[in-house]
Amino acid sequence: MKKMNKLSISESHRRELLMGIGSLALIGIIPKTAHAQSDELIVTNWGGDWNDRTVKFIEAPLIESKGINIVRALNLEPERKTKLLAERNLPRGTIGIAHFSNADAYELNEQGILEQLDYAKIPNAKNIIPSLRSPYFMPWVYGGVTLAYNPKFIKTPPTSFADLWKSEYAGKIGVLDQSFFNWIYMAALVGGGKMNMVDSAFPKLLQMKTKLQPKIYPTHQHLAAGFANEEVWISANYSARIEQWKKDKVPVASSYPKEGAVTIVFGAVIPKKAPNKTAAYTYLNALLDPKGLGQYCEASMYSPSTSNAILQESVKAKIEFTPQQVTSLNNVDYAYQAKNIASWLEWWNKEFKG
Amino acid sequence: MNLIAPSPFGSEHFQNLKITAISQKIRGKLALPALLLVSFFLLAPLLLIFRYSFDLYDPKQLMQDIFTFQNYYKIYSDPFYKNVLWVTAQIAFLSTIFTLLFAIPVAYFVSRTQSERRRSFLIIIIVLPLLLGNAVRSAAWMLVMGTKGLINASLIGLGLADNPLTILFTPTAVVVALVSVLLPYAIITLQSVMDSIPTSLEEAARALGYSPFHSFVRIVFPLAMPGIIAAGAICFALAMNAYATPVLIGGPKMKMMGPVVYEQIAKISNWPFGSALACILMLTTLVLTILSTRYLHKKYF
Repeated sequence: MKKMNKLSISESHRRELLMGIGSLALIGIIPKTAHAQSDELIVTNWGGDWNDRTVKFIEAPLIESKGINIVRALNLEPERKTKLLAERNLPRGTIGIAHFSNADAYELNEQGILEQLDYAKIPNAKNIIPSLRSPYFMPWVYGGVTLAYNPKFIKTPPTSFADLWKSEYAGKIGVLDQSFFNWIYMAALVGGGKMNMVDSAFPKLLQMKTKLQPKIYPTHQHLAAGFANEEVWISANYSARIEQWKKDKVPVASSYPKEGAVTIVFGAVIPKKAPNKTAAYTYLNALLDPKGLGQYCEASMYSPSTSNAILQESVKAKIEFTPQQVTSLNNVDYAYQAKNIASWLEWWNKEFKG
Repeated sequence: MNLIAPSPFGSEHFQNLKITAISQKIRGKLALPALLLVSFFLLAPLLLIFRYSFDLYDPKQLMQDIFTFQNYYKIYSDPFYKNVLWVTAQIAFLSTIFTLLFAIPVAYFVSRTQSERRRSFLIIIIVLPLLLGNAVRSAAWMLVMGTKGLINASLIGLGLADNPLTILFTPTAVVVALVSVLLPYAIITLQSVMDSIPTSLEEAARALGYSPFHSFVRIVFPLAMPGIIAAGAICFALAMNAYATPVLIGGPKMKMMGPVVYEQIAKISNWPFGSALACILMLTTLVLTILSTRYLHKKYF
């Protein structure tokens, strides 16, 4: 049985040819100058607000001002992962920096695509919160899944993920379909399981489905609309999202669960085939600049991955987890998740939503 | 006496024929860049997808490069995926029928509009929704169909309902939204076909005693059938492959093939199974389109 990352030239002729074709197409799309100049860095990132804020607080003031010209390739993560895969078999790639979540980075590292980072080249990295450190992924901002509720209907703030199973909220519980894995983790924590032992989640979720008739929403925006029109009284979502909703006047408050929040970390990676690694390390160091990162976090409401980001006190209280909360965070076991997520999605589609 | 009759067409006719023959050659060459583009950017990825569908999903390595029918067997043996395909075909069929029902009268009206200015204005109005993204149009439907949306607010405001009706996240909502997406394609296709049907035929039918309705049904409708079949095929293929509408209007419980393929590829990186589902979707769309087109051709021609 041949495995993709172990293919030799002779046995992988077809796959390499296909990847080669994809890579040629990719090279054709990227401007020629990108290959020619050493002071250019191709950064692939999400678009929208995420990129706008990255440009405003980090890239323009801290990198481009130093003469490094950033070429942006903005896509969703599947497209960006595919580009990196296509470049894997080239002698030299084009992407210098790729923004990803830690789950995506895990997957790419397993596929042998990522550079093992030399943290000595990232002076600002000494301030990274130790539990977020990774050899191939530089954490930048992070958040956690906490409880969201409408204080108009729920006077006593919920304190546990188990409150999502309270019979008094039947018909008023909002479930977010796109984060199905987080609901499996939450149900596992309530049912006595762990982040790498989620069997107890499935009967718990079926109990919610049959007894509490939760409303399932496809996207964050739908769930926010559900809160706004009072169809939903209680749910769970990333803390940064809840804070953004508050800014948008959605009637919602957040509460940290006693089980600990389920974390998500966003950051950046350098592909092994990156052409301009010096500029890439400069970029990574700039991401952790105390002022730039602080401004980014104030705008996005995510928590900084470092302990020295400069934040206004009023904002700090809203977005930073307390040291006690940090210790109770539930980190995702990515090897376990990657192994099981296909069967979880199938179960979710057939049993929970079916 | 000159026994050879002079050509009724004159020498100019032959010159024109020559020009036509040359331009046909040029036309063939002109088609080449498009052909190459389609071959490279459409056929090559389709072949890749087809090959990937025989690979095996491996969470760590993305996929194992072996040849297996496992993905196809899973689709065949699992009632869930068969049901998704069945629901998709049903929704696509209903959307196509309703789209054609609404599009035919509008296309006829536009085609028979005398004033060029008015006609251009009507065509711009019809095409205008295509300038907005599908997602934007779906978002607008959400505002109309939501619990506190336009329909429910009107019903409650007029005292016709006490509680908001569940409209959003139902199959009916998906069909309504899909019809709105497909209408411009159908109208434009049908209008160009109806333009080619001479009004003199209808006038003759009227002169022989047909009512306007009968002359439309007996004369225009059969002559427009090739266009109706083409418009139907376009709408059916688009509806079968719809993504934004089922996700945004149908909600998480509405399972159609487009979102299921996306979920496999984008959410969990199961490229082999996602590719197999995509191939089945393409094949089903192709077979159903060909069969229905053939059946209608046989029936009407």
